[in-house]
Amino acid sequence: MDSAHTISTEGLTRRFGELVAVDNVNLRVAPGQFFGFLGPNGAGKSTTIKMLTGLLAPSSGRIEILGLDLVAHPVEVKRQIGVVPEGMALFGRLTGAEFLSFAGRMYGLDRETAAKRAAELLEFMQLAGEPKKLVTDYSHGMQKKLALAAAVIHGPKVLFLDEPFEGVDAIAAGTLKSMLQGMITRGATVFLTSHVLEIVERLCSHVAIIHQGKLVAQGSLEELRAGVEAQAPAATGDGATSGEKLTLEQIFLRIVGGTRRTEQELSWLG
Amino acid sequence: MLSRTNISVQRRGQLRAVASLRWRMFVNGLRTTRGKTELVSRVIVTLAFALGGFGGFAAAAGVAWWLVSEDKAQFLVALLWPIFFFWQVFPVMATAFTNNPDSSDLLRFPLTYRSYFVIRLAYGFFDPASALGSVGLFGVFLGISIARPSLSLWAFAVLTTFALFNLVLMQTVFAWVERWLAQRRTREILGVLFILFMLSFQLIGPMTQRFERRPSPQLKRAAEIAGQVQGVLPPGLTGDAIAQVAHGEYLVGSTSLLFLATLTVAIGYLLHLRLHRQFLGENLSEATARPAVAEVQSLRMGWNLRGFAPSVAAVFEKEMRYLGRSGPMLLTLIMPLFMLLIFRLGPMSTMRHSTLLHRAPDLAFPGAVAYALVVLTNLVYNSFGGDGAGVQFFYASPARFRQIVLGKNLTHAAILAADTILAWIAVSFFYGPPAPAISIATLAGLLFAAPLNFTAGNLLSIYAPKKRDFATFGRQNASQTTVLASLGVQLVTVGIGAAVFMIGRFYHNLWIATAVFLGLSVISMSLYVTVLGRMDDIAIERRETLIAELCRA
Repeated sequence: MDSAHTISTEGLTRRFGELVAVDNVNLRVAPGQFFGFLGPNGAGKSTTIKMLTGLLAPSSGRIEILGLDLVAHPVEVKRQIGVVPEGMALFGRLTGAEFLSFAGRMYGLDRETAAKRAAELLEFMQLAGEPKKLVTDYSHGMQKKLALAAAVIHGPKVLFLDEPFEGVDAIAAGTLKSMLQGMITRGATVFLTSHVLEIVERLCSHVAIIHQGKLVAQGSLEELRAGVEAQAPAATGDGATSGEKLTLEQIFLRIVGGTRRTEQELSWLG
Repeated sequence: MLSRTNISVQRRGQLRAVASLRWRMFVNGLRTTRGKTELVSRVIVTLAFALGGFGGFAAAAGVAWWLVSEDKAQFLVALLWPIFFFWQVFPVMATAFTNNPDSSDLLRFPLTYRSYFVIRLAYGFFDPASALGSVGLFGVFLGISIARPSLSLWAFAVLTTFALFNLVLMQTVFAWVERWLAQRRTREILGVLFILFMLSFQLIGPMTQRFERRPSPQLKRAAEIAGQVQGVLPPGLTGDAIAQVAHGEYLVGSTSLLFLATLTVAIGYLLHLRLHRQFLGENLSEATARPAVAEVQSLRMGWNLRGFAPSVAAVFEKEMRYLGRSGPMLLTLIMPLFMLLIFRLGPMSTMRHSTLLHRAPDLAFPGAVAYALVVLTNLVYNSFGGDGAGVQFFYASPARFRQIVLGKNLTHAAILAADTILAWIAVSFFYGPPAPAISIATLAGLLFAAPLNFTAGNLLSIYAPKKRDFATFGRQNASQTTVLASLGVQLVTVGIGAAVFMIGRFYHNLWIATAVFLGLSVISMSLYVTVLGRMDDIAIERRETLIAELCRA
């Protein structure tokens, strides 16, 4: 294992009965990287992020976060990371301020600091205008912003986000992006999964692609592009023309071997 | 446009699909070990209920047979009132046993309102109270039919209408109470009504005692009026419809049945008002209007619990806020006071000198406290149920599970303490202040019973979790494993408690009971501390089950 990396895994594997959801994954994420973790539906992204954050036990393999073994030192690791899992992990019958204050104290902040940071975060996320509103009455985008606020209230060194931009409007997405960029500038590491490849391409410096549980590519965008072009320089029906830089979507499609169905097969549909 | 026949075919198809869905969910649930455990628990719980149901059935059949054979059919009402009370009160008293799945998820499909209504009623029919009530009524029917076969067809029609009335009323009560508890204003009105209700009972108590000491014509008159009033209520109408026909008064009997059917339709209409709103997509949540000018957010400090870690205080605060915002849960928690009222002034008060509490009023306080512990079942034995997806937050945070669980248990203990104080005050009003010896023995008993229940509850909360919405009332299933295990633990604790009290009463010295309880409390507290210490390991071991169950959409 490499202690120079913020996140590193070795032989990370997770089985559900006969299904190998994550198969011998060796991830390396350096400090300060904005890391995008991509894959088609059911590839193993959420399973991996759950294992990296202690929400799911690996069947085998090792996970090190900030040089600490996650299984041996779960509490020490959790103190230094923030998580927005699938489903957001909110408590619906609290107000935004109550939830953030609760989250801060669960991460070990004293009452005053938790209250101050909660107020600042609500202001930054533009959620401060309706202090009596319960989280359950928040819109989806507001809940995403609140979940992110709760994940950063203790100033984590590493942030794990599972589909942070899913169902979020352009304004809320802008707020989230500016906060994440700010964290990277200050030296934090962000690890996110997303289906929106344009956002990943714009935000992330490094990318890994998982397909059918196996890590099939890992590196900077340029490294991935070079690798794909070296393997299949000719256009393969994904819209790429020679001489143009491949987009992340084209790289992704070439790596996972996906094809789009263009013919109308469901003739009974309107 | 679809023709009437097509709609009818489509409706039948939908009802079959819902039945098939329930069956597939049941079968697919058996794929996991937990599902199989649930099945075994369900079988045991059903057998226990069936045993009770058979007892009720046999008693109802025997008494009905005797009454009709002896030409005393007018007293059948004495059987119908208890069945009516059981059917309506049991689901509220013991919400853990309520088995009434939420059907609102079906609204996304092109379901006709009629199908939705029928499905809600059908779900209600499988509730234990409905099943046992129906079995009791079947017993009454059988008793009448054996005693006088010529009456069986009529009795069947009347008792079926009565059963339908009970089924509709139970659903109506759930639907309307949920509606009233969902909004702050109606919740406050209900709260005020409850306080007025309690105060009025304080006045009724001394009045009835005065009448008891000095029988007067007014009391006889009041009893006559009460008899007439019960005669126009559903159990009275049912009994009257059968008795009148048994005595050859067909027209009067038919009129009673007509009244009963009219009442059923009227209550059904009230249910229709609620269900139709739900069918149209009603949302009862109280989101505040957007302020014209953004409100200034004041700095909000969390609660502090001296002597406890900040994470314990944070969980305690969160749990108390959840409870404060859950009308249905608050209603459940004040049920011990209702029970005291029922015992003191309900139907059992007509047997005032023969009931246990009137012969031994010193048992009222321990009884009320024991019941207070029982109504905490939903909270204590499924303490993560209300957290839903929030449980992931607990796993992602650095807080230890033993602290989280301790925070939750402190909430349970606080509620139990509040219920105990309220029960003491209520008992003082209804039966006179409990003697110091009984009060202290009860508190010592709590020191034994509460940690034992918390220990079992903490384990079951992790081993058999079930997602629940604190905002809905009577529309959620409890885990059958939890129901069975909690029933077992509570039988043991209440049994031990009763035995210890009996020993104290036998020797005319309740301080013996206090001493025994304190000795037992050392054991139960040690058990609690040991299990609490192991909570982190258990929670890690069970995290997948817990997250999968509680994060389910």
